[in-house]
Amino acid sequence: MRERITSLTRSNTDLVWLVALLLVLLVAYQHYDSTLFTPASVTILSAQFLPLILAAAGQTTVMLLGGIDLSLGAVLGLAMAVFATYEAQGAGGVVTAAVLALGVAGATGAVNGALVAYAGLPPIVVTLAASFLWSGVTLVVLPQPGGHVPAGLVEAYNNGWYGVALPVVAITVVLAGWKLVRTTRHGLALYAVGGNEHGAYASGLHTRGVKIGGYALAGVFTGLAGIGLAIQTGSADPTIGTPYTLNSIAACVLGGISFFGGVGRMRGTVLGALLIGLLTNLLLFTGISPFYQLIVQGVILVVALALKTYVTREATA
Amino acid sequence: MTSDRMTSDGMTSDGMTAHRTTGAEVVAMLRGSRPVWAFGVLGVTWLAAILFADGFDSVSNVRYLVQTASFLGIVAVGQTLVVIMSGIDLSVSGVVGLSAVVCAKVASGTSGGATTAVVVALLLSALVGAVNAAGVVWLRVPPMVMTLATGTVLAGALLVYTDGSPSSARVPLLDSLANGRVLGVPWAFVLWLAVTAVAGWLLHLARTGRYAFALGAGESAARASGVPLAATAFTAYVSCALLAGVAGLVLLGFTGTSSLTMGNPYQLLSIASVVLGGTSILGGRGHLLGTVGGALLLTLLTALLTSWNLSEGVRQVFLGVLIIGLLLVYARERRT
Repeated sequence: MRERITSLTRSNTDLVWLVALLLVLLVAYQHYDSTLFTPASVTILSAQFLPLILAAAGQTTVMLLGGIDLSLGAVLGLAMAVFATYEAQGAGGVVTAAVLALGVAGATGAVNGALVAYAGLPPIVVTLAASFLWSGVTLVVLPQPGGHVPAGLVEAYNNGWYGVALPVVAITVVLAGWKLVRTTRHGLALYAVGGNEHGAYASGLHTRGVKIGGYALAGVFTGLAGIGLAIQTGSADPTIGTPYTLNSIAACVLGGISFFGGVGRMRGTVLGALLIGLLTNLLLFTGISPFYQLIVQGVILVVALALKTYVTREATA
Repeated sequence: MTSDRMTSDGMTSDGMTAHRTTGAEVVAMLRGSRPVWAFGVLGVTWLAAILFADGFDSVSNVRYLVQTASFLGIVAVGQTLVVIMSGIDLSVSGVVGLSAVVCAKVASGTSGGATTAVVVALLLSALVGAVNAAGVVWLRVPPMVMTLATGTVLAGALLVYTDGSPSSARVPLLDSLANGRVLGVPWAFVLWLAVTAVAGWLLHLARTGRYAFALGAGESAARASGVPLAATAFTAYVSCALLAGVAGLVLLGFTGTSSLTMGNPYQLLSIASVVLGGTSILGGRGHLLGTVGGALLLTLLTALLTSWNLSEGVRQVFLGVLIIGLLLVYARERRT
């Protein structure tokens, strides 16, 4: 019981830090853009942040299992390409395209998971090879930027649909879904297998099945991110996914997801992704060359992780 | 140390005649010597290439192949040093670009000659390696995140430095290094072999190598038995970055132009070479020669796929499937 309380407070101190940092960023943002809290701004910003938030959710799922997904960017591009190349007519067409893209993304995740679970290859190697494979498939589906997303959908997504910020709704629904999954045996099994595989196996969990399911779920998250990006930009670009691999890992790391599996909460990841998104925009406002973005991103990643290691080391000592 | 040997004892003729070996034992012995697998697969692929594609038996083609394999091979040798001590370097693409871009800019500028340019590029590359090692050792940041971060920082720094448009430069010294030959053998290949020899000595004969293997096999145990983490990590990461820098210079000589993304293909391919060469990505097990086989194999496969006029996408699909397939055959981790 006592252990639970201490671990609970520790996970919450993590969160407190993140929220504080986010508040600082929001105040600074407000200074440059006073329309920040208007519905229009929220819609646009959420449309812009949704792909990273969902991609980071996928990366989180894999990292909770103790793995890492280097093929995330490739799968994101693939889902985007599938979604945008399908000639969608009307709402039914869009749904079909989305289901198709999600099916493909989920399947790629399941393949990763099956290779990790059954073949005895480390996740980093499997997903590395998979990144070649899926970016190749993406180039076959869509050799150069193109594709088409119904204009009405793009408009509604980016500028609000009767005053409703669709990206916010999408993120909320997905996170609520994750919350639901987490309370089921499958969600708990994810943490159990990631935290202690042998223990989980000994307690009668089908660890391989859990892994395949977890990687497939990550694929679906990544697919949703790809669909979001396609709707946001109105078309698809086969190579646009690449930076999402790093950024999703960065969001997870900022959000306190452990590299060794089994530790971390999805809300941390979401805050981490928001942090990265806001920071990127903030850098644009300051007027310095966007080239500096990458430098700042890299430095923040290292500083955040080093600080975290330092703080937790103090706490456990 | 648990390093794989090129010829494990079981494969000598002595071992064969001493007792009748069953098929399973032979397979087990082959499994135990992964670099042999890498070269075996390379040989088979080469044979297939000669049989089913045009021109792979010609001397000029072989020469071109080993020349282009050198660029990847030099990076992969450095990557092996890091992977053996259970690290990984995801900043090599950035370093390749850094060294080429900086060298081209300094050489084409009024400030310095070719020698200055080369020295500056290599010093900067080594500095990146030192930063990687410092982050891993002192800040305790996982190698993957640390090197990803430095790679990202490098990409940004290069954009700032070149304002998005890197200059091209013909550096005579590098030009002859990349394209020239000695006794019909490309200088680039000679350089690769020399690099491999030095790194092989460092990894398999010198004490630093023993330390690297020990750290890769289990860090806490290694540290408890007095293996110096900092010195070993600095040697490995600095060597890796330095070699990536060398590869960048050779590439600059080869193409005559520098670009911000010229290192990108080498990131994943260098790791793939290491793993295909039979080195465990988790560290502690492997042989440098396997990496040489891996780099040759990947270059040959790419050349083969190109010769069939496949589109970029189909080529990548093939490469991905082939890598997974080969890894499944001989590079599985032992279950714990």
